[in-house]
Amino acid sequence: MKGVKLHVRVLALALLLIGAGSTAWQIFVLNIPVSADTTEPVWVIDTKLTFSARDNTPVKVQMYVPPSWSKFITLNESFISKNYGVNTDAVDDNRQAVWSARRAEGQQQLFYRLMLTKRSNSRFSESEPGPLFKESPKLEGVEKVAVEALLKPIREHSADIETFIREAIKLINEPSNDNARLLLGNNYTQDNKSMVLELLLSSAHIPVERVRTLRLISGVAQSPELWMRSYNGKRWLYFNPETGTQGLPDDRVVWWTGNDSIAKVEGGRHLKVEITANQKVMNSITLAQSIAERKENKFWALSLYDLPLQSQQTFEIILMIPIGVMLILLLRNVVGLETLGTFTPVLIGLAFRETQVVWGIILFTLITALGLSIRSYLEHLHLQLLSRLSVVLTFVVIIMALISVLGHRLGLDRGLSIALFPMVILTMSIERMSIVWEERGGLHAGKVGIGTLIAATLSHLMMTYPAWTYFVFTFPGMLLIFMAFMLILGHYRGYRLTELFRFNAMIKGRQ
Amino acid sequence: MSLFSTWKDLRQRGVMGINQRNADYVLRYNQRHLYPLVDDKIKTKERAIKAGIHVPTMYGIIDSDKGIGKLKDIVKGHSDFVIKPAQGAGGDGILVIADQFEGYYRTTSGRLLSTEDIEFHISGILSGIYSLGGHRDRALIEYRVIPDPIFSAISYEGVPDIRIIVLKGYPLLAMLRLPTRQSGGKANLHQGAIGVGVDLATGITLDGTWLNKLINKHPDTTNPVRGVQLPYWDGFMSLATRCYELTGLGYLGVDMVLDKDQGPLMLELNARPGLNIQIANDAGLAARCKQVEDEIDRLNAKGITTANPTKRMAFCQREFAQPLQNLGALNSDNETFAAPTEANSDVTATNQQP
Repeated sequence: MKGVKLHVRVLALALLLIGAGSTAWQIFVLNIPVSADTTEPVWVIDTKLTFSARDNTPVKVQMYVPPSWSKFITLNESFISKNYGVNTDAVDDNRQAVWSARRAEGQQQLFYRLMLTKRSNSRFSESEPGPLFKESPKLEGVEKVAVEALLKPIREHSADIETFIREAIKLINEPSNDNARLLLGNNYTQDNKSMVLELLLSSAHIPVERVRTLRLISGVAQSPELWMRSYNGKRWLYFNPETGTQGLPDDRVVWWTGNDSIAKVEGGRHLKVEITANQKVMNSITLAQSIAERKENKFWALSLYDLPLQSQQTFEIILMIPIGVMLILLLRNVVGLETLGTFTPVLIGLAFRETQVVWGIILFTLITALGLSIRSYLEHLHLQLLSRLSVVLTFVVIIMALISVLGHRLGLDRGLSIALFPMVILTMSIERMSIVWEERGGLHAGKVGIGTLIAATLSHLMMTYPAWTYFVFTFPGMLLIFMAFMLILGHYRGYRLTELFRFNAMIKGRQ
Repeated sequence: MSLFSTWKDLRQRGVMGINQRNADYVLRYNQRHLYPLVDDKIKTKERAIKAGIHVPTMYGIIDSDKGIGKLKDIVKGHSDFVIKPAQGAGGDGILVIADQFEGYYRTTSGRLLSTEDIEFHISGILSGIYSLGGHRDRALIEYRVIPDPIFSAISYEGVPDIRIIVLKGYPLLAMLRLPTRQSGGKANLHQGAIGVGVDLATGITLDGTWLNKLINKHPDTTNPVRGVQLPYWDGFMSLATRCYELTGLGYLGVDMVLDKDQGPLMLELNARPGLNIQIANDAGLAARCKQVEDEIDRLNAKGITTANPTKRMAFCQREFAQPLQNLGALNSDNETFAAPTEANSDVTATNQQP
């Protein structure tokens, strides 16, 4: 006996741990939202390329697109164009999309749409690739002198790579510095400044490269922002070439690195690139699904969401049945409520899904009452059990049809939902209830009937509570937790609530 | 009074709840393969006859719709008889015919039934509406018990019966069940019959219970139910005690009647006897079970695995005596053996599991 008790406890504990563990894993590691209402921001970046094609020449458009290693997750990426073939290639550390067409005429438009979301868990971000080796340029004459003159104070004022670069940026942006002016050659554009910076730093054997980023703000059309970055042996350091500020802000997406412009076109002219970003709000679970799709089989934990939509809806109902069953277990073994049949209330509760509770109770009561009256009439005809049951069932079907037709005529569409009541269950309920009535009296039959309706209503409410439906469907580990609970209840030896009243006389008589 | 303190008081008095009965006694002591023996009254009867236990004479069995017509032959020469479903539960489906009149049958309540009515009833029994699992059943036609006149003062119609709950052959609690007007002459408590506790040692009735209330008068006859000496008491006790050997079921309710002519007869056995017997006796079943299990352990320790029925009966009559005049004092005695149930499960833990 003790062995069995221990066995059940260990089994229940194991199920509980597995269930809780898988749920915790889904919540904390996979970041699956706990509630269906959780939303997360998603960025939609639209890029529009317009150009006019030269007649009768092949067209090839190359455009850099953001790499996959950023701190953002790509949810969806689409290339929209008419009559163009699209490929994406890896060019050094960058990704490049190539549109190509044999011939095109007139104004052309190409679209690139990217949906991004911030990684909620940094552990999943792929590491950024390291630097590529570049030779330092050979300098001669005045430029060499100017570079060395500039490097001297920078060396004196800096302690490491980081401060060295910041110092260099500061000097180049200083309008009064003659050496810097000479190197810039009166061209004070961002591009030129960063080119000079690159030259300056590579002479000091510090490789830097240009990186273009996009700022995530809604609405405004923008062009990629220039940043400089340098590899310190462990990670990339990002610098603003104008102010020398270090560190890429959180709202910047790295688009591409290097000196090229974002796009170039062969066989076309007047290329124009417009980029707009927009923030959208996306349901977290949809988001998790999209991420899962992109990661493919890694995400088996959401496997119920992989089912076809129709099966998903079915399973949303099926997975809730254990909750209803557990409630019946509690009501019967701990509370001591009497019901017709064991799981009949759960099935009736399921039917309430379609009819709603109030209508469900009204319809159930109506059909049972009518069924009971025909059952008591059939009693006089001395029919055998099976044919009596068949007659009652047919009668139930006829009543259901009548209620539907009548409800439809009266404009009560709820009447139509009655078709979903389980006929066989209703028939058996009527038969059982009439036997209870005969043997134990109408009062007891009424008590059992009301008990059934209470259990059905409660189980319906529990089975349709949206937060739980979502939770159980998303975290099927909950089913194991339910099972553990049911196992433990199987060894419940305490009094039922109704027994406290039943045996109350034994206590009262004593005082 | 709060529910919690009710709970505690009930535990302290050793009152058994349904969950405890099912898990600790029915599931543990009653092996499933033995159930058909008690669930089927015909099998019980056959077994009892072999063991020399007195039962109401069986007139015949109807086991098919074709056989319904044989009813006339079966009851030939008997003006009164009882029709029972062999696998009925809780007294459902039992039809008691007291008399025959011009081709009609008169029930004990005076209702006249045609042969057709009776045949319909039997066909209902055969199709299984009264059987536990709803499967096909047999109808049993047997001798109608005429209650001993000793009960006429405290009974209303019907046949009072005596139930004794037996754990591993040790009788624990006894109850006299008296039909009332409300129960329609049936001796089932949930149908409104009264249960009256019986002192195991003497066979003298104690107070009773009716619809979960404590009572001391019969609601129909208003005669006090206590203080009635049941005749042949030791006969009932020994009969109940021997039913353990008869069936092998460790936890058993034995239903018996006292016939005017034939004396104590065993009616049926029940593998899941109800719990209201505790209210009737004002004594907790779990407490007595515990005492018996301790005794079994004690005997096992001494190497006695099967105590003989006489010794078992003597043990119970000594330990569970509730002398009428000392009822108040005795209740306080009860407290001394109402051991806490936590300890209970530890002691029982060494026993085997079905």
